[in-house]
Amino acid sequence: MQNRILNLTKNVKFQLFLTAAALLFLFRLFFKPDDVLMLQVINEILVVTSVSFFILYLLDFLSKRSFSPVSMVMNVGILNAFLFFMMTFSGTILTGLFGDLSLEESRSGLVYYLVLFFYVFLLLISFSYFFITFKEFYFLKQKKNVSKHFNTMIIFILLASFTAMFGEKWDLEYISLSFFFISILLIVINSIKISWIAFIVKKEKLYVLFLSVIIAILFIVNIVNASDGNSNKLVLDHFSPSLTTFFKLIMIYGIIYYSILFFTTLFHLPTAEVYDRKAQEVTSLQYFSKLITQVLDFDELAETVTDIATKVCNAHGSWIVWKADNEFKNIATKNIGYVDVKLMTEYLHDIFINKADEKTEIVTLEKFNRRSELSEDYSVIAVTPLKAHNEIKGFLLTVKKSDFIFDEEDKNALETFGDYASVSIENSRLLEQSIEKERLEKELDVAREIQRKILPAAEPQYKNLSIASVFIPAFEVGGDYYDFFEIEDDKLGFVIADVSGKGISAAFIMAEVKGIFESLSRTSQSPREIFIKANEILRRALDRKTFVSAAYGIIDVQKETLYYSRAGHCPVLLIRGETVEVLKPAGIGLGLTHSKEFADALEEDTIELKGNDIIVLYTDGITEAKNSELEDFGEKLFEQILIENRHEDAGTISKKVISEISYFSKNYPQHDDITLVIIKWKQKLLNNGDKEWQNLAPQLNTGAM
Amino acid sequence: MAEFSTAVKYRGDVNVIYLNGFLDAHTAPQLENEFSKLIEENKYSIVVNFKDLNYISSAGLGVFMAFIEKIRENKGDIKLTSMNDKVFNIFDLLGFPLLYEIFKSEEEAVKKFNEIKKLENE
Repeated sequence: MQNRILNLTKNVKFQLFLTAAALLFLFRLFFKPDDVLMLQVINEILVVTSVSFFILYLLDFLSKRSFSPVSMVMNVGILNAFLFFMMTFSGTILTGLFGDLSLEESRSGLVYYLVLFFYVFLLLISFSYFFITFKEFYFLKQKKNVSKHFNTMIIFILLASFTAMFGEKWDLEYISLSFFFISILLIVINSIKISWIAFIVKKEKLYVLFLSVIIAILFIVNIVNASDGNSNKLVLDHFSPSLTTFFKLIMIYGIIYYSILFFTTLFHLPTAEVYDRKAQEVTSLQYFSKLITQVLDFDELAETVTDIATKVCNAHGSWIVWKADNEFKNIATKNIGYVDVKLMTEYLHDIFINKADEKTEIVTLEKFNRRSELSEDYSVIAVTPLKAHNEIKGFLLTVKKSDFIFDEEDKNALETFGDYASVSIENSRLLEQSIEKERLEKELDVAREIQRKILPAAEPQYKNLSIASVFIPAFEVGGDYYDFFEIEDDKLGFVIADVSGKGISAAFIMAEVKGIFESLSRTSQSPREIFIKANEILRRALDRKTFVSAAYGIIDVQKETLYYSRAGHCPVLLIRGETVEVLKPAGIGLGLTHSKEFADALEEDTIELKGNDIIVLYTDGITEAKNSELEDFGEKLFEQILIENRHEDAGTISKKVISEISYFSKNYPQHDDITLVIIKWKQKLLNNGDKEWQNLAPQLNTGAM
Repeated sequence: MAEFSTAVKYRGDVNVIYLNGFLDAHTAPQLENEFSKLIEENKYSIVVNFKDLNYISSAGLGVFMAFIEKIRENKGDIKLTSMNDKVFNIFDLLGFPLLYEIFKSEEEAVKKFNEIKKLENE
């Protein structure tokens, strides 16, 4: 039943209130309930019903809005003042309108009842609102379910009100009085624990302290206005004794609650600031722990750090000094001008350099000789280190103006906060690094793919030649390139090159270099000429820092001759018998200098091929391959392996070299591309028929590589 | 990761950059900074001392090429000194001795600069 009434919609409650009030109005117009118990009871029932529905309606009406406790205190004050004026002047107005109110005759007629109902309605609004506010106060910040205490109190208030009518006429006042005093007792009990006061800030506490005195006094004045001998009392008692009692009890509740509120606030005042700070810390840390997960943007994070830092210690400004490339940079300035920040950072420079511990250091600006240049009267700075990987990476600075200090609490708060900030910043940086790493890996995948497509898929097949090539890419694409050009049936062009730099940019230059040699190999049959033209193109195409070292050779099978040039590349090795000839004609790397200087320096050599000559081209990835002691693989070992295996075909020799290098540097990561090209000469026999026969076997061998 | 550091010393009008450690694609920007600073201050007589340099990669070599034009336009030069054999070999292969003056000792390089100065003044 009770729930069904409570669950009615707002409008239905209001309609029920209006119906009850209308019934009451008609009832009062036709009956005088003063003397007849039955009529009095009906009157009281109608009053209680009206009041209940109105309170329920108002409860619904107000529950949609959420007020802060302080504004509720204020609202009660305003309504109380209104009530005070109304009750003070109502006597005069009512007497003026209807004559002496203590006389039975003046309290009758339609006009009187209209005015009376309006007057009661205004009272009803006031104390219903008070009642609802007290209820809100009571349940505010309560940890346990305490509705039982409050409900008991309501029952007793209702009992005290309802029984009031018996006291007047039938000398049963003690019943009502008993309920009345029990109600007061319950009111006191229910008012004692005011816990919400701890949660408001100091300024609001002062405000509440001030208001509670005034409002408590207003409640006292209003209860006096409705006491014996007053016109309000006369009119109300005549209307309904229950209402008078209910009104009194609400006023008493007000007096008690606001008095207790006053004292509670007073006791809370000395510790208000501590509460304030604790509350601030809690909210800041909550706010910050949320942000730990939102560290995608380092700059944004820094802004938040300074923002919260000012709140944590009530500072006037904050900024971060971040160490990057051995320089201190000011970032994320908050509530403070950039010029001021710059001046103060300069002043603090020595502290930044010498600071080793993790403690917050307080620095005054008293000895700062350029303090007058600051736009604000800043007087003290707290320096909190920010660490990452156990290393101080920056400082969080908070500054206060004159007459403000950083106390021990501030220091502790900043230190705690500094730890939090460090963790977030570290996370942010780790994330940034892993994103960057992923990006680089993607880039390197592309670079490796380009390189793979640029390099020849297979060695060309030539009579008298056994050709093998090996390419082992480094993780960071090193920019090695080699190629073969089948110029004519009996001429083979070959090139090996190394682009300076690494990664995707090196891969793109490789592609360009391939295009250049691809076309030049068709137009010219002189390695020197090809290089001079290639240098001309590359000098224009490459930036000043980038260059390409290369070696280019042409073997004329008919003439049994090798023509070759070297543009800054590793020498060409010629294994002839048991010796290694290091072929190192002069030449500058491609792209390093202008055409004339390049051409002047560049030589082209010619060698007549004999017996089982082996031509070896390589990049520095071979000679500079390292072992765990950081020793180079070196030329000597390389040449030795070549000599030892000189009787093998090109494919076997190259495999042997690579396996030796792998063994040598098994404990050290490969840091540059490794490229090896081996061309073995098979001497022609004088007889044509013999020549054909001789060449069958080696060609089969070559295919095996 | 290989470490690299630089130091600059002023010997009269000549600025000597000392290189230490491993100069590769990752550490090259540090040396670039040194050159940029000197050029900003209009100091174009530069000697680079390789005494304590253990390794130089192609990216490291590129740094010298990046600034040489600007420096020579301003009648300055980069002279290289005190290389160990391995480092010299790398320079030599690329034909750097044709592009730069390479000296055995820092003294010789500084002396060369001073002689040129004298000639200009006469």
